[in-house]
Order: sequence, then structure tokens, then C-alpha cells
Amino acid sequence: MNVLRIGPQGAAPAGDRLSPIIEELNQQRAWLAKVPVAALLALWDDYSGRLLRDPRTKPLEGVMFLSAWLRQANLQKLLQLNTMGNPGYLDGFVGVDNYLLSARPQGLVAMWMAGNVATLPMFSLVPGLLAKNVCLVKLAAADPGGMDRLLAVLAESQAKGLRGEDLLRAAAVVWFDYRQQPLSEEMSLAADARVVWGGREAVRAVTALPRREHCVDIVFGPKYSIGLIDRKLLEAGGGALEAAVAGFVRDIAVFDQRACSAPQTIFIERNARCSLAEVGRMFAVGLEKLPPKPGLDAYTTLRILGARAEWAMDPLRDVAASTGGADWTVCMDREVSLKEAVQSRTVFLTEVESWREVLPLLTPKVQTVGIAFADRDDALAFAEAATAAGAARCVRPGLMNNYESPWDGKLLLNQLLRWVIVKP
Amino acid sequence: MNAATLEQQVEELIRGPQYALRQAEKDARLTAILRELCRDVAARCPPYGRFLDHFGPAAEDWRTLADIPPLPVAMFKRFLLAAVPPERIVRELHSSATTGQQPSRIVVDKTTAFRQARALVSILKEHVGSSRRPLLVLDAADSTAAGDSLSARGAAIRGVANFASETVFGMTRLPGGELQADWDAIEAFFARHGGDAVLAFGFTYIVWTGFVLEAERRGRRFQAPQAVLLHSGGWKKLTAAAVTKEEFGRRVGAVLGAAAEQVLDFYGMVEQVGTVLVDCPAGHKHAPAFADVVIRRSLTLAPAAQGEPGIIEVLSALPTSYPGQALLTEDQGVLMGVDDCPCGRKGSYFRFLRRIEEAEVRGCGDTFAQARDIR
Repeated sequence: MNVLRIGPQGAAPAGDRLSPIIEELNQQRAWLAKVPVAALLALWDDYSGRLLRDPRTKPLEGVMFLSAWLRQANLQKLLQLNTMGNPGYLDGFVGVDNYLLSARPQGLVAMWMAGNVATLPMFSLVPGLLAKNVCLVKLAAADPGGMDRLLAVLAESQAKGLRGEDLLRAAAVVWFDYRQQPLSEEMSLAADARVVWGGREAVRAVTALPRREHCVDIVFGPKYSIGLIDRKLLEAGGGALEAAVAGFVRDIAVFDQRACSAPQTIFIERNARCSLAEVGRMFAVGLEKLPPKPGLDAYTTLRILGARAEWAMDPLRDVAASTGGADWTVCMDREVSLKEAVQSRTVFLTEVESWREVLPLLTPKVQTVGIAFADRDDALAFAEAATAAGAARCVRPGLMNNYESPWDGKLLLNQLLRWVIVKP
Repeated sequence: MNAATLEQQVEELIRGPQYALRQAEKDARLTAILRELCRDVAARCPPYGRFLDHFGPAAEDWRTLADIPPLPVAMFKRFLLAAVPPERIVRELHSSATTGQQPSRIVVDKTTAFRQARALVSILKEHVGSSRRPLLVLDAADSTAAGDSLSARGAAIRGVANFASETVFGMTRLPGGELQADWDAIEAFFARHGGDAVLAFGFTYIVWTGFVLEAERRGRRFQAPQAVLLHSGGWKKLTAAAVTKEEFGRRVGAVLGAAAEQVLDFYGMVEQVGTVLVDCPAGHKHAPAFADVVIRRSLTLAPAAQGEPGIIEVLSALPTSYPGQALLTEDQGVLMGVDDCPCGRKGSYFRFLRRIEEAEVRGCGDTFAQARDIR
């Protein structure tokens, strides 16, 4: 048995081919197309509440944010943005001037997930189903990582006559070894749209798979995120800097800094009030207060220890780190560069004269910039320049990992739709 | 402890029996030595001084070897870590480096070089006997090319050659750089010494592909029942080819005409030449008297319990010219026991498990900034 199917009951062997699963999914397309958007929104809202109440899902990392994101009001806004202001397009034709317009699903959406964020599949699956696509989701690891529990609670959700159990027939979550080329090809060739989340190798491997000519590719590839604290905020006092650091610490802690939206390098503008070392101490204090990490792989441990040693041994750099283990690390320097991401509570603070020095580092590879500015106009001036250079998001500290639409410059749900026009 | 006493204590450990000290005594003696040695090296090597200033307890508070903050071996790729002025450097060792990577650079002064050579002889004596013997090196002669710079392979070959009464190189290098067995030389070596206690040495993958597989393909077998083959180096390619340690030993032994138990794997690295950890008949690796191994847990870095896999740290009293006294390797191992190995050697003993590789799943945030294509 090469395929594992992950469902409310856990992971179970599902044969050596994906075709039976693909066939099952395709049989649900007509049914799903008729489900009103209002019912889908109500179901997700019901699910949202259950996630926080149910002991199976309550402890999952990121579930609180997922629950908030699934609230009807939030998904309604997401739909508005992704459907040119009228989610009614999803339920049928809407008259526009002298023609009719509708948003049809792409069909079967194949999703390759990254293994870094337990709740990530839901941020892909929900837009897929809201757009009334049947979805085939491949997890990165055989361990469901909580996905089975998320599905179990979804199966029990219901609202407006729609049962989660029924909706789940339109979605299949699977795992198979990525080296199983025939299975990868089968999945790819079944897709009307391919959604790929992951690092460089995963993205390259999936996008190289054969696909149907009409298939749409939506890639959320490897990205790097940074932070910036401006001079005026550093000099402002009144707790603004403390709040910004606390926000960044949250951004660092979430998903163990493995998400592409997690800050790796944070630039600190030189100022008259607070030295780089003092800012470093504030980060250290914040990181020290975090709950201990549950565990860490040997590779990341070595990377952390390597970064620490390198920064300690270089006379032009400095480092502060947790004692007795590889829990957290604050590396400090004045070399204006994007430091190699180490992850797992390892942040690089780099002093710059002005945020303008950071601009040449910004390319489309930089996804999110956490911006801590005292002055809104200054923040907008930076954001104007940063997004022109390629950055996709400029958000306040504490919000960096909050998945939203657009993400990585894309309106995912919109791209999972086919816009059709009728002029009778 | 003054410099003379320190020197004398290290010498005692190098000259004495290598596996007779019980772990508690060894830990106490080595901790005292390394406390002084690390302080001394830190005073002469400012980057290492800064490292010790930043991490772990102060040297005077080191109570056991596990208290010494281990320096990640990768730092030898980032910095030239010299504790001696350039005029006292007699040799610079370097690791092989994959494309785009910096090799490790290790500077060796006369004291360190002497210690390394004598230490290796002391260790090998305990595994293969004390007499010098003919040595067949399964590598090319140019791997040990003379000069003040030497590769890891070259350093290891030179070290083992200290134990040889005669050295024959059993491979030649083709114009493209590949190694090819020199069957004439190998045949002649075994024709002269086949019945004697001979030593063969090579790097694991080279021994396997260049010697064993080729000999099997050509149907060559030798009659050297007293031969001992020492080999070292990564198992990654052999693991990928599904070759186990047992199969390696069996097939090497079959080609040599020797027992599989006479094929000895040793663990060592260019950052600690002379400090090699050789397999005992029970298949365990033992640190010699002047060195030790601590297996550390990921995340907490606390010493791992017996049977628990962890990151291998190797400690050694040999280096004086660079900070190689306590090095955190990029390998995983497991502590198998203390003072009770069936082979009779005392001290802690362990097994090598694998090289620590990048986790398969590091996610979309796994980008490399300057090194890759962010810029």
C-alpha cells in the first residue's frame, strides 16, 4: 500500500493508485456546485467555534488563528475581495450591464502542502472548497500532524442543512512518498489546478510533473521575511518599542519560525535612544519568556549553534542566547544583508542608518515585512518602496504570520475560479 | 597547573595504555587538562576566547567534560582559528569541500603534529599490535603530496604510515582525477607480504568502489589471513547502496582472505587528526585515553542517556595550535555503555549512527538568503 488516506479516523492505507480517490472526488463535483455559498460560510463558521471547544483540536498550534480566520465575517470579506465584490457569482449567473457573469470552479484542485505549519492545509482547502472545487490534498509527511483531528471536527460540523461529513466527500487528504513518481504524476495529471506550498526543491519537483494543458499553477514557494523598526519609534518611548518587540517575538515564536512569513532578519534604524545591544536585550527578554520548545531536530540544533558561534567569534558581531540549550538566539551585527534563515527562535538584528539601506535587499523573494514605524506616513512611504521592489506584505509586528488574502501577491480563491461570461 | 605539568599529563595519557582508565577517572583527568588547555588556547586565539566568553560556564567551573562548551566543527570553515603565529605553523590541514562550500582549515604546530603522530601510533598498537608492518594504502600517492598544506585524507594516510615498515600505494589517479586500483602494485604487495601481518588502509567508499567491487568484478582474491584493514570516512554513499557495515566487512575480508573481524572502521576527522576511535571486536567505538566522546541531546545539549541517539562531541587533549579540544561534530551517535564493553576496554563506548542531514521538511520559510537566490 503506497497511499495513505487521512480522514477523521486517522491515516489508513488506500491502495497503490490514486485513481479510485480521484474518481470519488470527481463524482462530487456536480453536488458541490449546487451547494450555496451561504451554506458553506455557515458550515465553516460552525466549524470555527467547534475547533476551539473540541479537545482534539484545541491544543493544535495555530488553531486559534484558524478559528478566527474561519469566522463567517472574515470569510465573507475574503469572498468579497476574491469575487470582485459579489460572492453571488459563485452561486450562478449575475447580470452585469448587458451580460451575465459567473465564477465556476476550476474542477479538481491538487494541493501539495509544506510540512511546516500544522493548520496550513486548511488555509488551502477552505478556499478550494469555497470556490466549489473538489480537492485532493497531499500532506508533506506520513504523520497527519493534527490534520486527522481537524477533519474529525469538520465531519461533525453542520449548518444550514450542510453537513461537514458530506462536504468532506469533496475533499481527500492523502500522503505518499514524494519519490513515488507514478503517484505524483497521477495526482498532477488529474488536476485542473495545482497549488504548491513548499521549499525550493518541492516546488521544482511538483512543477516539473506532467500536467494537463489547461491546468492552472498557483505556487507559494520559498520566501524570506524580515522586520524593520524605524528610528522615530525607537526614540518615541511610551511603550511603542516594547509593543513592537513583543509583536515580533510572537511572529518569531509561531510555527517555530518555519513559515515563509516569519521574520528572520530584523533591521533596526540607528537612533539616539536605544542601542542595538539594548534592542537585542529586549528581544532576549521576550524570547526567554516563551514556553520551552517541545523538541528540536539535530540539524536545526547544529544550525543554531553554528550561528551562535559564528556571531560570538566575530569581533564585529554579538550574540545573546538562552543558556543551556538551543532554545532562542539573538544575533546582532551591522552588515546590511539578509541572513540565512536558521529558524526555531533565531533572529538576526541588523543596525542600519536608514530603511533606505534595506530597499536594495528587497526582491519578490521577500514575502512579508514586519513594519514598526511611529509615523503612518513614513510606514506608507516605506511600503510603497518595498512593495515596488517585490515585497508582498507590509504588516505590523504580531501580524506577520496571519494568513490572509492576498497572500504572496495572489488572491488564491480567485485563482481557483474560472470566470465565465454569457451574452444571451 | 603550569605548562610543564600540563605537557607531562598529556604525554602520560598519550604514552600510556589507551583503554585502561575507568570513565570517572578519565573524565576527571581530562577535564583538568582541558580546562587549562582551553584557557591557554583561548588566550592565544581571540575568536575562541570570545566563544568561551559567550557560552557555558567559566573554565574554572568546569566539573566534567560535558561542562565544556563544544565548538561546532563548522567554525573551521568560517574562520582560520590559529592559536600560534604563522611562523610556528608547520602544516595546514584542510577538509574536502563540496561545490560552493569553504573547506575546513586547521593549523598544526610542531607540538600538535608530534602529539598527533604518536597518539595515532599508541591507538593502533592496541588494535593491531606494536610492531611496524607493511602498509598497503588504498589510495593514490599524490593524496599525501608533500607541502605545507594537506587534505584530510592525506593527513590520515600520513598518520597511519607512521606505523608502517614499508608503504605501498595501491591506486593511481587517472587524468580526470578518479582513482583506479593499481593491481600490479597490489599483487606485488601481497606476493611479498601475503602471509605476514600486514596493514591496509583506505577511505571507506574508495575501498568499496575502487578495491572490493573491482576485485570482485575481476575475480581477484588474495591470501592475507593476518591482514588488518583500517578504513574511515562517511557511510552515506554505501548506505544509499544498501551496503551494511557487516556486509562491507565480510566482502572486504573475502577479497583479502582475512576474517571480517579484521576489517576495522574508525571514526575521526580532520579537525582532530590523531584522535581516532577504532571499532573494537564488539563493534563499539572507544575513545583513547587522551580523548573522549559526549553524546549530546538536540535542543538541550545535555548528555544523552545510554541508548539515546544524540549529536557526537569529541574532546581531545592533542591540539595546542587551534581550538580543537571540544568539538561538536555534524554526526549522530549513541552511547552504548560505560566501562563494561565485552571487549574489556574501559571508558564509555558508542556507535556512530549517521551524518546529520537537513530535515526533509523545513517548509516554505527554508530559504537561504545570500547564499542562494534571494539576492
